Amino acid sequence: MQIYLPIAEISVNIFLLLGLGGGIGFLSGLFGVGGGFLMTPILMFIGIPPTVAVSTQAPQIVASSFSGALAHWKRKTLDLKMGGLLLAGGVVGSFFGVQLFSYLRSLGQIDLFIGLSYVGFLGVIGGLMFLESVRSILNARSGRASTAPKRRRRSWVEQLPVKMRFPASGLYISIFPPIAIGFLVGILAAIMGVGGGFVMVPAMIYILRMPTNVVVGTSLFQILFVTALTTVLQAGQNQTVDIVLAALLIVGGVIGAQFGAKAGRFIKAEELRALLAFMVLAVCFKIGLDLVVTPSDLFVVIPVEPQGGS
Amino acid sequence: MISAILLAMALQGQQPLIQTEAPSIVAALTHETVEIREDFVGQELVLYGATRGLTIQDEIVVVLRGPEYDLRVMRKERNFGVWVNSDPVVFADVPSYYAIATSLPLEDIASDAELAAGRIGLPSLFARQPVSNGQITLSQETVLPYLQAIARAGERQNLYAEAQRGVEVLDGGLFRATISLPPLTPVGDYVADVYLFREGRVIASRSAALRVEKAGLERFIYDFAQTLPWLYGLFCVLLAVLAGYIADAIFNRR
Repeated sequence: MQIYLPIAEISVNIFLLLGLGGGIGFLSGLFGVGGGFLMTPILMFIGIPPTVAVSTQAPQIVASSFSGALAHWKRKTLDLKMGGLLLAGGVVGSFFGVQLFSYLRSLGQIDLFIGLSYVGFLGVIGGLMFLESVRSILNARSGRASTAPKRRRRSWVEQLPVKMRFPASGLYISIFPPIAIGFLVGILAAIMGVGGGFVMVPAMIYILRMPTNVVVGTSLFQILFVTALTTVLQAGQNQTVDIVLAALLIVGGVIGAQFGAKAGRFIKAEELRALLAFMVLAVCFKIGLDLVVTPSDLFVVIPVEPQGGS
Repeated sequence: MISAILLAMALQGQQPLIQTEAPSIVAALTHETVEIREDFVGQELVLYGATRGLTIQDEIVVVLRGPEYDLRVMRKERNFGVWVNSDPVVFADVPSYYAIATSLPLEDIASDAELAAGRIGLPSLFARQPVSNGQITLSQETVLPYLQAIARAGERQNLYAEAQRGVEVLDGGLFRATISLPPLTPVGDYVADVYLFREGRVIASRSAALRVEKAGLERFIYDFAQTLPWLYGLFCVLLAVLAGYIADAIFNRR
């Protein structure tokens, strides 16, 4: 059964979209990630215009992060103060990212930029994650206890000025690193159509040194509000949010995520991480290949659209 | 006797009428509007018509043109191993849809010059395009691959179509042509032109209008997103939050 998407202006099989939402939802429930980094490339692959694919991911992430953030809120495993700073950076980043998105789109370079961002971020994050998980699997096999990360006495992060106390995280650090991290994640949300959890969570653990029990809740909190803002900005400025597409992906996604979360309990954490790393690298490789392989048509035809704004 | 004279007069009066009767053509489409709804997957249109004074050497050409828009065409170039879009050229007023059906292969109907003058046939579409990349006017040789790229892209999405012998000439000067609108049909005002060719020249033509528009829910959503984009964005967020909340309520009942 085909359905015509009003903003993407393309007719797509409704079950393909539901299934896609379900499949990615399953993986996101399994790995505890948003799944935007998988969904956006697949949407582009099935013919959704890249601009619509990226923008429509934002409301889909709002839906999937909402229930998670709500659960952490109830359990109080959420550093509201830290989340607020990350969010402040994220708001500026999202705004900046949407402007950059509009500008690159007007130059005809948005596809390349999305592609390069994906290869860069997925390559680095996937590579690091893969090495780390392989090391911990090997450690677990050989029976050694995994070595706790050594705490250096003073990192450059701790030397920055304007410090603030974060009671929920038990930290006393400068406000600049959280704002900078939030800013970066806000840009990613606007340009790559991702929540940015895969960048933010490691950054919170390794750079901010936040305790792991508040990391996920705080990152979900930030992602929820940044993607909500990104949705409004993309819709308002670029008119590229397709509500029908988003609704189908959300329905499939929330159901899939529940099953994914249940399946995740049967797999060991480090193996799960290795699997996720492998998947991230595979997506990175596929997008990278598309950038370098000689395209079937050496020309691209792009409609010149009237510049956004109402 | 009188009746015979009258008959002769009538015949005389009629005789020159038949000889000087201008060849003419009329045509109509099966649809005046095509509505794009949720289940739109393309649509077949039939253009039917009648000709007067059709002779055996006459040929019929049917053209359906979609709304015009501006296109930016870029060439992919390998830079540091990566394919980068470069050298943009902007083409103004390119038809977003162009279908042509003929009663004989187009090249057998008229000369290229004649076709180009009437903007008939795909190659003629761009024949007189004034082209510049913003600063300098580009030569025809530079522009040609760009034009071919537009044609290729249109054909790939079934937006540009050429049907040789797509016009079926029936008895008594009647004819019909089937034109299909693909799933990616752009919305807007279309014009169907029918031409009657004799000895390589257009001797009669007629136009019919067609409107393609989004309808129902599709139209409502599209108009909402276009006219009140900020409110639409807020609405999307609200819907997403609601979906997340419902999912949480259903699956996380304790």
